[in-house]
Amino acid sequence: MDNTTHFGFKDVATKDKQNLVRGVFDSVASKYDLMNDVLSFGAHRLWKRYTIASSNVKTGDKVLDIAGGTGDLAIAFRKKVGESGHVILSDINAAMLGEGRKNLINKGVFGVDFVQLNAQFLPFADNTFDCVSIAFGLRNVTDKDQALAEIHRILKPGGCLLILEFSKTDSEFLKKFYDFYSFNVMPALGDLIADDKESYQYLAESIRKHPDQETLKNMVLDAGFGFCEYHSLSGGIVALHKGIKV
Amino acid sequence: MQHFALEQALNYLIQTGAINLKPLDGKTIRFSLKDLPLDVNFICTNDRIFAVSDTGQHSDVNISLNAGVFFALFKGEDLTDLLRQDKIVTHGDVKTAQLLVDMLQSVDIDLEEVLSQYTDDIVAHGVGKIAKNFKQVVQNSSNPIDAIKDGLSKLMITPVVSKLYKNKHH
Ligand SMILES: C[S@@+](CC[C@H](N)C(=O)[O-])C[C@H]1O[C@@H](n2cnc3c(N)ncnc32)[C@H](O)[C@@H]1O
Repeated sequence: MDNTTHFGFKDVATKDKQNLVRGVFDSVASKYDLMNDVLSFGAHRLWKRYTIASSNVKTGDKVLDIAGGTGDLAIAFRKKVGESGHVILSDINAAMLGEGRKNLINKGVFGVDFVQLNAQFLPFADNTFDCVSIAFGLRNVTDKDQALAEIHRILKPGGCLLILEFSKTDSEFLKKFYDFYSFNVMPALGDLIADDKESYQYLAESIRKHPDQETLKNMVLDAGFGFCEYHSLSGGIVALHKGIKV
Repeated sequence: MQHFALEQALNYLIQTGAINLKPLDGKTIRFSLKDLPLDVNFICTNDRIFAVSDTGQHSDVNISLNAGVFFALFKGEDLTDLLRQDKIVTHGDVKTAQLLVDMLQSVDIDLEEVLSQYTDDIVAHGVGKIAKNFKQVVQNSSNPIDAIKDGLSKLMITPVVSKLYKNKHH
Protein backbone atom coordinates (compact mmCIF):
# COMPACT_ATOMS: atom_id res chain seq x y z
CA MET A 1 0.00 0.00 0.00
CA ASP A 2 1.16 3.62 -0.58
CA ASN A 3 2.68 5.51 2.32
CA THR A 4 0.25 8.38 1.98
CA THR A 5 -3.47 8.55 1.55
CA HIS A 6 -6.15 11.22 1.65
CA PHE A 7 -7.98 12.47 4.66
CA GLY A 8 -10.56 14.72 3.10
CA PHE A 9 -8.51 16.96 0.79
CA LYS A 10 -5.33 16.55 2.84
CA ASP A 11 -2.60 14.00 2.17
CA VAL A 12 -1.69 12.15 5.32
CA ALA A 13 0.48 9.16 6.23
CA THR A 14 -1.54 5.99 5.59
CA LYS A 15 -0.88 4.74 9.09
CA ASP A 16 -2.38 7.95 10.56
CA LYS A 17 -5.70 8.02 8.70
CA GLN A 18 -7.52 5.62 10.99
CA ASN A 19 -6.72 7.74 14.05
CA LEU A 20 -7.79 10.92 12.30
CA VAL A 21 -11.10 9.32 11.28
CA ARG A 22 -11.54 8.09 14.82
CA GLY A 23 -11.09 11.67 16.04
CA VAL A 24 -13.87 12.85 13.73
CA PHE A 25 -16.37 10.25 14.92
CA ASP A 26 -15.39 10.57 18.59
CA SER A 27 -16.25 14.20 18.19
CA VAL A 28 -19.56 13.85 16.30
CA ALA A 29 -20.91 10.69 18.04
CA SER A 30 -23.29 12.29 20.53
CA LYS A 31 -24.89 14.60 17.93
CA TYR A 32 -24.65 12.16 15.02
CA ASP A 33 -28.33 11.30 14.60
CA LEU A 34 -29.53 14.87 14.93
CA MET A 35 -26.94 16.11 12.43
CA ASN A 36 -27.83 13.33 10.01
CA ASP A 37 -31.47 14.38 9.99
CA VAL A 38 -30.67 18.07 9.69
CA LEU A 39 -27.98 17.80 7.01
CA SER A 40 -29.86 15.37 4.76
CA PHE A 41 -33.32 16.90 5.43
CA GLY A 42 -34.27 13.41 6.65
CA ALA A 43 -33.45 11.85 3.27
CA HIS A 44 -30.97 9.41 4.84
CA ARG A 45 -34.00 7.55 6.21
CA LEU A 46 -35.37 7.02 2.70
CA TRP A 47 -31.99 5.93 1.36
CA LYS A 48 -31.67 3.44 4.19
CA ARG A 49 -35.19 2.19 3.70
CA TYR A 50 -34.44 1.54 0.05
CA THR A 51 -31.26 -0.28 1.09
CA ILE A 52 -33.16 -2.55 3.46
CA ALA A 53 -35.82 -3.27 0.86
CA SER A 54 -33.14 -4.10 -1.71
CA SER A 55 -31.29 -6.44 0.62
CA ASN A 56 -33.63 -9.43 0.10
CA VAL A 57 -32.80 -10.33 3.68
CA LYS A 58 -35.27 -12.80 5.14
CA THR A 59 -36.17 -14.72 8.26
CA GLY A 60 -33.27 -16.68 9.69
CA ASP A 61 -30.52 -14.76 7.85
CA LYS A 62 -27.19 -13.72 9.34
CA VAL A 63 -26.43 -10.06 8.72
CA LEU A 64 -23.39 -7.94 9.54
CA ASP A 65 -23.67 -4.15 9.46
CA ILE A 66 -20.19 -2.61 9.23
CA ALA A 67 -19.54 1.00 10.26
CA GLY A 68 -23.02 0.75 11.65
CA GLY A 69 -22.76 3.75 13.97
CA THR A 70 -26.03 4.46 15.72
CA GLY A 71 -27.67 1.36 14.27
CA ASP A 72 -30.41 2.46 11.84
CA LEU A 73 -29.75 -0.46 9.49
CA ALA A 74 -29.20 -2.99 12.28
CA ILE A 75 -32.60 -2.13 13.78
CA ALA A 76 -34.34 -2.71 10.46
CA PHE A 77 -32.41 -5.91 9.74
CA ARG A 78 -33.25 -7.24 13.19
CA LYS A 79 -36.91 -6.95 12.35
CA LYS A 80 -36.41 -8.76 9.03
CA VAL A 81 -34.39 -11.74 10.28
CA GLY A 82 -36.69 -12.54 13.21
CA GLU A 83 -35.82 -14.65 16.21
CA SER A 84 -34.09 -17.33 14.18
CA GLY A 85 -31.75 -14.84 12.50
CA HIS A 86 -28.69 -13.00 13.73
CA VAL A 87 -27.66 -9.35 13.34
CA ILE A 88 -24.31 -7.86 14.31
CA LEU A 89 -23.84 -4.10 14.58
CA SER A 90 -20.17 -3.27 14.21
CA ASP A 91 -18.05 -0.15 14.11
CA ILE A 92 -14.41 0.75 14.59
CA ASN A 93 -15.30 3.53 16.95
CA ALA A 94 -16.26 2.79 20.57
CA ALA A 95 -18.10 6.09 20.98
CA MET A 96 -20.29 5.47 17.91
CA LEU A 97 -20.92 1.89 18.97
CA GLY A 98 -21.88 3.18 22.43
CA GLU A 99 -24.40 5.54 20.81
CA GLY A 100 -25.70 2.59 18.79
CA ARG A 101 -26.18 0.50 21.89
CA LYS A 102 -28.03 3.37 23.61
CA ASN A 103 -30.21 3.92 20.58
CA LEU A 104 -31.23 0.25 20.34
CA ILE A 105 -32.02 0.06 24.04
CA ASN A 106 -34.09 3.26 23.81
CA LYS A 107 -36.03 1.78 20.91
CA GLY A 108 -36.54 -1.52 22.71
CA VAL A 109 -34.57 -3.48 20.14
CA PHE A 110 -32.81 -6.50 21.64
CA GLY A 111 -30.99 -9.49 20.27
CA VAL A 112 -28.41 -7.51 18.26
CA ASP A 113 -24.73 -8.18 19.00
CA PHE A 114 -22.17 -5.38 19.08
CA VAL A 115 -18.62 -5.85 17.81
CA GLN A 116 -15.89 -3.23 17.62
CA LEU A 117 -13.92 -3.92 14.46
CA ASN A 118 -12.05 -2.47 11.55
CA ALA A 119 -13.67 -3.20 8.15
CA GLN A 120 -10.23 -4.22 6.85
CA PHE A 121 -9.89 -7.10 9.31
CA LEU A 122 -13.14 -8.95 9.89
CA PRO A 123 -12.94 -11.47 12.74
CA PHE A 124 -15.34 -14.00 11.20
CA ALA A 125 -14.99 -17.34 9.44
CA ASP A 126 -15.29 -17.64 5.66
CA ASN A 127 -18.84 -18.00 4.22
CA THR A 128 -20.66 -16.85 7.37
CA PHE A 129 -23.14 -14.09 6.39
CA ASP A 130 -26.12 -13.86 4.04
CA CYS A 131 -25.77 -10.10 3.88
CA VAL A 132 -23.13 -7.52 4.81
CA SER A 133 -23.96 -3.82 4.71
CA ILE A 134 -21.88 -0.69 5.06
CA ALA A 135 -23.69 2.65 4.97
CA PHE A 136 -21.79 5.92 4.73
CA GLY A 137 -18.77 4.09 6.11
CA LEU A 138 -16.64 2.89 3.20
CA ARG A 139 -15.29 6.33 2.34
CA ASN A 140 -13.68 6.50 5.79
CA VAL A 141 -11.88 3.18 5.42
CA THR A 142 -8.17 3.52 4.65
CA ASP A 143 -7.81 0.48 2.38
CA LYS A 144 -11.18 -0.01 0.68
CA ASP A 145 -9.97 -2.88 -1.53
CA GLN A 146 -8.88 -4.83 1.50
CA ALA A 147 -12.24 -4.21 3.21
CA LEU A 148 -14.13 -5.38 0.11
CA ALA A 149 -12.00 -8.54 -0.11
CA GLU A 150 -12.68 -9.26 3.56
CA ILE A 151 -16.42 -8.79 3.08
CA HIS A 152 -16.33 -11.13 0.09
CA ARG A 153 -14.55 -13.75 2.19
CA ILE A 154 -17.10 -13.75 5.03
CA LEU A 155 -20.19 -13.75 2.79
CA LYS A 156 -21.79 -17.09 1.95
CA PRO A 157 -21.99 -18.02 -1.73
CA GLY A 158 -25.08 -16.16 -2.93
CA GLY A 159 -24.59 -13.64 -0.14
CA CYS A 160 -25.18 -9.98 -0.81
CA LEU A 161 -23.05 -6.91 -0.14
CA LEU A 162 -24.77 -3.53 0.17
CA ILE A 163 -22.78 -0.31 0.04
CA LEU A 164 -24.76 2.86 0.60
CA GLU A 165 -22.52 5.86 0.09
CA PHE A 166 -22.38 9.39 -1.24
CA SER A 167 -21.55 9.38 -4.91
CA LYS A 168 -21.45 11.56 -8.03
CA THR A 169 -24.36 13.38 -9.58
CA ASP A 170 -24.51 14.02 -13.34
CA SER A 171 -26.72 17.04 -12.97
CA GLU A 172 -24.84 20.35 -13.29
CA PHE A 173 -27.49 22.11 -11.24
CA LEU A 174 -27.37 19.56 -8.42
CA LYS A 175 -23.57 19.60 -8.49
CA LYS A 176 -23.46 23.39 -7.98
CA PHE A 177 -26.09 23.35 -5.27
CA TYR A 178 -24.45 20.41 -3.55
CA ASP A 179 -20.96 21.98 -3.64
CA PHE A 180 -22.26 25.16 -2.12
CA TYR A 181 -24.26 23.26 0.45
CA SER A 182 -21.50 20.88 1.53
CA PHE A 183 -18.63 23.35 1.69
CA ASN A 184 -20.54 26.28 3.16
CA VAL A 185 -23.75 25.19 4.84
CA MET A 186 -22.62 21.82 6.24
CA PRO A 187 -19.57 23.03 8.18
CA ALA A 188 -21.52 26.07 9.40
CA LEU A 189 -24.33 23.85 10.68
CA GLY A 190 -21.71 21.56 12.22
CA ASP A 191 -20.32 24.57 14.03
CA LEU A 192 -23.73 25.77 15.15
CA ILE A 193 -25.31 22.50 16.26
CA ALA A 194 -22.39 20.27 17.19
CA ASP A 195 -19.77 22.95 17.87
CA ASP A 196 -17.49 21.16 15.42
CA LYS A 197 -16.77 22.78 12.06
CA GLU A 198 -13.67 20.75 11.14
CA SER A 199 -15.35 17.33 11.35
CA TYR A 200 -18.11 18.42 8.99
CA GLN A 201 -15.57 20.00 6.66
CA TYR A 202 -13.83 16.58 6.59
CA LEU A 203 -17.11 14.79 5.90
CA ALA A 204 -17.79 17.08 2.93
CA GLU A 205 -14.27 16.62 1.58
CA SER A 206 -14.29 12.85 2.04
CA ILE A 207 -17.43 12.63 -0.09
CA ARG A 208 -15.59 14.30 -2.99
CA LYS A 209 -12.66 11.92 -2.68
CA HIS A 210 -14.85 8.82 -2.74
CA PRO A 211 -14.87 6.81 -6.00
CA ASP A 212 -17.78 7.42 -8.38
CA GLN A 213 -20.44 4.79 -9.17
CA GLU A 214 -18.59 3.00 -11.99
CA THR A 215 -15.23 3.00 -10.20
CA LEU A 216 -16.76 1.52 -7.06
CA LYS A 217 -18.62 -1.08 -9.12
CA ASN A 218 -15.31 -2.20 -10.64
CA MET A 219 -13.71 -2.31 -7.20
CA VAL A 220 -16.51 -4.60 -6.01
CA LEU A 221 -16.04 -6.89 -9.02
CA ASP A 222 -12.26 -6.86 -8.54
CA ALA A 223 -12.77 -7.99 -4.95
CA GLY A 224 -14.22 -11.21 -6.36
CA PHE A 225 -17.97 -10.55 -6.51
CA GLY A 226 -19.66 -12.24 -9.47
CA PHE A 227 -22.20 -9.47 -9.96
CA CYS A 228 -22.43 -5.85 -9.02
CA GLU A 229 -25.12 -3.33 -9.81
CA TYR A 230 -25.63 0.17 -8.51
CA HIS A 231 -28.70 2.34 -8.15
CA SER A 232 -28.20 6.09 -8.03
CA LEU A 233 -30.55 7.75 -5.57
CA SER A 234 -31.51 11.41 -5.30
CA GLY A 235 -29.93 12.25 -8.65
CA GLY A 236 -26.70 10.39 -7.81
CA ILE A 237 -25.92 12.27 -4.60
CA VAL A 238 -26.07 8.82 -3.07
CA ALA A 239 -25.66 5.38 -4.64
CA LEU A 240 -26.48 1.89 -3.48
CA HIS A 241 -24.08 -0.76 -4.79
CA LYS A 242 -25.22 -4.32 -4.55
CA GLY A 243 -22.66 -7.09 -5.02
CA ILE A 244 -23.45 -10.79 -5.12
CA LYS A 245 -20.91 -13.47 -4.29
CA VAL A 246 -21.26 -16.46 -6.58
CA MET B 1 -33.61 0.17 -10.33
CA GLN B 2 -36.52 -0.83 -12.59
CA HIS B 3 -36.28 -4.45 -11.50
CA PHE B 4 -36.79 -3.57 -7.87
CA ALA B 5 -40.53 -4.33 -7.90
CA LEU B 6 -40.10 -7.68 -9.66
CA GLU B 7 -37.37 -8.72 -7.29
CA GLN B 8 -39.42 -7.69 -4.26
CA ALA B 9 -42.51 -9.49 -5.44
CA LEU B 10 -40.69 -12.73 -6.33
CA ASN B 11 -38.78 -12.84 -3.05
CA TYR B 12 -41.94 -12.17 -1.14
CA LEU B 13 -43.53 -15.16 -2.87
CA ILE B 14 -40.50 -17.33 -2.11
CA GLN B 15 -40.56 -16.32 1.54
CA THR B 16 -44.26 -17.08 1.87
CA GLY B 17 -43.71 -20.49 0.28
CA ALA B 18 -45.84 -19.62 -2.77
CA ILE B 19 -43.00 -20.53 -5.10
CA ASN B 20 -40.23 -23.04 -4.74
CA LEU B 21 -36.86 -21.86 -5.96
CA LYS B 22 -34.85 -24.98 -5.14
CA PRO B 23 -34.88 -26.44 -8.69
CA LEU B 24 -33.42 -23.19 -10.04
CA ASP B 25 -30.74 -22.74 -7.41
CA GLY B 26 -27.46 -21.56 -8.93
CA LYS B 27 -29.03 -20.60 -12.28
CA THR B 28 -28.94 -17.26 -14.05
CA ILE B 29 -31.77 -16.58 -16.46
CA ARG B 30 -32.01 -13.68 -18.85
CA PHE B 31 -35.57 -12.77 -19.61
CA SER B 32 -36.57 -10.12 -22.12
CA LEU B 33 -39.76 -8.91 -23.73
CA LYS B 34 -39.28 -8.11 -27.40
CA ASP B 35 -42.00 -5.47 -27.68
CA LEU B 36 -41.43 -3.76 -24.34
CA PRO B 37 -38.25 -2.45 -22.75
CA LEU B 38 -38.07 -5.18 -20.16
CA ASP B 39 -34.76 -7.01 -20.00
CA VAL B 40 -33.89 -8.61 -16.72
CA ASN B 41 -31.50 -11.20 -15.41
CA PHE B 42 -32.71 -13.42 -12.60
CA ILE B 43 -29.93 -14.77 -10.43
CA CYS B 44 -31.32 -17.61 -8.32
CA THR B 45 -29.09 -18.26 -5.35
CA ASN B 46 -29.09 -18.73 -1.57
CA ASP B 47 -32.83 -19.39 -1.66
CA ARG B 48 -33.70 -16.02 -3.17
CA ILE B 49 -33.76 -14.18 -6.48
CA PHE B 50 -31.74 -11.15 -7.46
CA ALA B 51 -33.06 -9.27 -10.46
CA VAL B 52 -30.32 -7.25 -12.18
CA SER B 53 -30.16 -5.46 -15.48
CA ASP B 54 -26.72 -6.51 -16.65
CA THR B 55 -24.82 -9.45 -15.29
CA GLY B 56 -21.92 -9.01 -17.67
CA GLN B 57 -21.75 -12.78 -17.26
CA HIS B 58 -22.91 -15.93 -18.94
CA SER B 59 -26.54 -16.83 -18.27
CA ASP B 60 -27.77 -20.43 -18.30
CA VAL B 61 -30.61 -19.53 -20.61
CA ASN B 62 -31.86 -16.49 -22.54
CA ILE B 63 -35.61 -16.25 -22.98
CA SER B 64 -37.07 -13.68 -25.31
CA LEU B 65 -40.77 -13.27 -26.10
CA ASN B 66 -43.60 -10.82 -26.70
CA ALA B 67 -45.65 -9.46 -23.81
CA GLY B 68 -48.78 -11.22 -25.06
CA VAL B 69 -46.98 -14.56 -25.15
CA PHE B 70 -45.69 -13.89 -21.66
CA PHE B 71 -49.21 -13.56 -20.35
CA ALA B 72 -50.30 -16.67 -22.25
CA LEU B 73 -47.47 -18.56 -20.57
CA PHE B 74 -48.39 -17.14 -17.22
CA LYS B 75 -51.95 -18.34 -17.73
CA GLY B 76 -50.77 -21.89 -18.29
CA GLU B 77 -50.05 -22.17 -22.03
CA ASP B 78 -47.56 -24.93 -22.81
CA LEU B 79 -43.94 -23.85 -23.24
CA THR B 80 -43.18 -26.59 -25.75
CA ASP B 81 -46.11 -25.54 -27.95
CA LEU B 82 -45.05 -21.91 -27.88
CA LEU B 83 -41.46 -22.89 -28.64
CA ARG B 84 -42.65 -25.01 -31.57
CA GLN B 85 -44.64 -22.07 -32.90
CA ASP B 86 -41.50 -19.89 -32.60
CA LYS B 87 -43.30 -17.53 -30.27
CA ILE B 88 -40.49 -17.82 -27.76
CA VAL B 89 -36.80 -17.69 -28.54
CA THR B 90 -34.49 -19.42 -26.11
CA HIS B 91 -30.74 -19.82 -26.15
CA GLY B 92 -29.13 -22.20 -23.71
CA ASP B 93 -30.54 -24.69 -21.33
CA VAL B 94 -34.22 -25.28 -22.23
CA LYS B 95 -34.70 -27.33 -19.07
CA THR B 96 -33.92 -24.24 -17.00
CA ALA B 97 -36.42 -22.26 -19.08
CA GLN B 98 -39.03 -24.94 -18.38
CA LEU B 99 -38.28 -24.73 -14.65
CA LEU B 100 -38.74 -20.97 -14.71
CA VAL B 101 -42.03 -21.30 -16.55
CA ASP B 102 -43.17 -23.99 -14.10
CA MET B 103 -42.34 -21.66 -11.26
CA LEU B 104 -44.23 -18.71 -12.78
CA GLN B 105 -47.22 -20.90 -13.60
CA SER B 106 -47.34 -22.23 -10.06
CA VAL B 107 -47.96 -18.71 -8.80
CA ASP B 108 -51.68 -19.16 -8.54
CA ILE B 109 -52.35 -16.17 -6.36
CA ASP B 110 -53.23 -12.52 -6.63
CA LEU B 111 -49.92 -10.73 -6.12
CA GLU B 112 -51.52 -7.46 -5.21
CA GLU B 113 -53.85 -9.07 -2.72
CA VAL B 114 -51.01 -10.87 -0.97
CA LEU B 115 -48.79 -7.83 -0.87
CA SER B 116 -51.49 -5.52 0.40
CA GLN B 117 -51.96 -7.82 3.39
CA TYR B 118 -48.35 -7.16 4.26
CA THR B 119 -49.36 -3.81 5.72
CA ASP B 120 -46.67 -3.79 8.37
CA ASP B 121 -44.09 -2.98 5.77
CA ILE B 122 -44.49 0.23 3.83
CA VAL B 123 -42.18 -0.97 1.08
CA ALA B 124 -44.23 -4.08 0.40
CA HIS B 125 -47.29 -1.87 0.39
CA GLY B 126 -45.64 0.35 -2.22
CA VAL B 127 -44.65 -2.67 -4.25
CA GLY B 128 -48.25 -3.89 -4.12
CA LYS B 129 -49.31 -0.66 -5.78
CA ILE B 130 -46.52 -0.91 -8.32
CA ALA B 131 -47.46 -4.50 -9.09
CA LYS B 132 -51.01 -3.35 -9.71
CA ASN B 133 -49.79 -0.60 -12.01
CA PHE B 134 -47.52 -3.08 -13.72
CA LYS B 135 -50.42 -5.41 -14.45
CA GLN B 136 -52.73 -2.66 -15.67
CA VAL B 137 -50.14 -0.99 -17.84
CA VAL B 138 -48.94 -4.20 -19.43
CA GLN B 139 -52.53 -5.16 -20.17
CA ASN B 140 -52.96 -1.77 -21.84
CA SER B 141 -49.83 -2.60 -23.84
CA SER B 142 -47.89 0.50 -22.87
CA ASN B 143 -44.69 0.73 -20.91
CA PRO B 144 -44.29 -1.33 -17.72
CA ILE B 145 -40.91 0.18 -16.89
CA ASP B 146 -42.46 3.64 -16.61
CA ALA B 147 -45.11 2.27 -14.29
CA ILE B 148 -42.45 0.80 -12.06
CA LYS B 149 -40.42 3.98 -12.17
CA ASP B 150 -43.46 6.06 -11.26
CA GLY B 151 -44.28 3.78 -8.40
CA LEU B 152 -40.75 3.85 -7.17
CA SER B 153 -40.43 7.62 -7.36
CA LYS B 154 -43.59 7.92 -5.31
CA LEU B 155 -42.17 5.47 -2.86
CA MET B 156 -38.93 7.41 -2.64
CA ILE B 157 -40.25 10.92 -2.26
CA THR B 158 -43.50 10.57 -0.33
CA PRO B 159 -42.73 11.40 3.29
CA VAL B 160 -44.65 8.43 4.72
CA VAL B 161 -43.97 7.35 8.27
CA SER B 162 -42.56 3.86 8.28
CA LYS B 163 -42.86 1.62 11.27
CA LEU B 164 -39.20 0.82 10.74
CA TYR B 165 -38.34 4.16 12.23
CA LYS B 166 -40.90 4.48 14.94
CA ASN B 167 -39.59 4.34 18.45
CA LYS B 168 -41.41 1.12 19.08
CA HIS B 169 -40.44 -2.45 18.58
CA HIS B 170 -43.08 -5.06 17.96
C1 LIG C 1 -21.00 8.43 8.74
S1 LIG C 1 -20.99 7.15 9.92
C2 LIG C 1 -22.24 6.06 9.35
C3 LIG C 1 -23.04 5.42 10.44
C4 LIG C 1 -24.23 4.59 10.00
N1 LIG C 1 -23.84 3.48 9.14
C5 LIG C 1 -25.26 5.43 9.30
O1 LIG C 1 -25.43 5.24 8.09
O2 LIG C 1 -25.88 6.27 9.92
C6 LIG C 1 -19.50 6.34 9.49
C7 LIG C 1 -19.05 5.27 10.49
O3 LIG C 1 -17.94 4.55 9.94
C8 LIG C 1 -17.13 4.15 11.02
N2 LIG C 1 -15.81 3.73 10.48
C9 LIG C 1 -14.85 4.53 9.98
N3 LIG C 1 -13.80 3.80 9.58
C10 LIG C 1 -14.11 2.50 9.84
C11 LIG C 1 -13.43 1.26 9.64
N4 LIG C 1 -12.20 1.22 9.10
N5 LIG C 1 -14.04 0.12 10.01
C12 LIG C 1 -15.27 0.15 10.57
N6 LIG C 1 -15.97 1.29 10.79
C13 LIG C 1 -15.40 2.46 10.42
C14 LIG C 1 -17.13 5.39 11.89
O4 LIG C 1 -16.69 5.13 13.20
C15 LIG C 1 -18.57 5.83 11.82
O5 LIG C 1 -19.35 5.31 12.86
